Amino acid sequence: MLKIDKRLKQEIESHGIAAYPYEGCGLLLGRQVKGGNGRIDNVVTSLFPVANSWEVEEEKRERFLIAPQDMLQAELTAASQGLDIVGIFHSHPDHPPIASPRDVAWAAWPGHSYLITEIRQGQSKQSRSWQLLPDRSGFEEEEVQFM
Amino acid sequence: MPNFRIPTPLRPYSGGNSEVKVAGATVGEALNDLTGQYPDLRQHLYDGSDLRSFVNIYLNQEDIRYGDGVETTITENDTLMIIPSIAGGAGWVVD
Repeated sequence: MLKIDKRLKQEIESHGIAAYPYEGCGLLLGRQVKGGNGRIDNVVTSLFPVANSWEVEEEKRERFLIAPQDMLQAELTAASQGLDIVGIFHSHPDHPPIASPRDVAWAAWPGHSYLITEIRQGQSKQSRSWQLLPDRSGFEEEEVQFM
Repeated sequence: MPNFRIPTPLRPYSGGNSEVKVAGATVGEALNDLTGQYPDLRQHLYDGSDLRSFVNIYLNQEDIRYGDGVETTITENDTLMIIPSIAGGAGWVVD
């Protein structure tokens, strides 16, 4: 389960609207805590927005890339605050917030929450979150609790 | 011994450890030692015999691609980090 403050959700939506018609992206910082049934919950306490580093401008409408240098800075920032990177957020401009085959193909680790926000015609719509299966074969949706 | 920092999502595959001491004179040897100690890590770092394309190894905050890659030499007090490039997007075509 992903737990995230409503204020942070609004910041993610604003980030996606600002990036429209391109995809916006960033990291979710927080902690992993034990939830019910032995489940691990990702609890988000702050955001680390980054630039979409995909090289081809026009393809940013349906692609994003978080550069390793940005990921390194996010790791160091999180560590300095006693936090972890618990997930990634990105927007799907004019597409539903469903983890795509492209998201699966390029996903990094199981255990991260992949929060996707639909931005349609410049307005934020639904956000849904996904996790890579341990065998890397696909994503499964996870519950999101907006606190 | 050099130290590997393990990203949070991979800690279930490293015995819960956030840092692992590794043996080796190069980054490649350190990676082999790491995945020898924790074989379950290998599936997430390697595709066959090669590091996965999104996996970047940083030595003291420098990308080893700008050094000698996995042949980059390491010393006693070095810190290695596993940093992914994360990509994706709404497109349904995988290329």
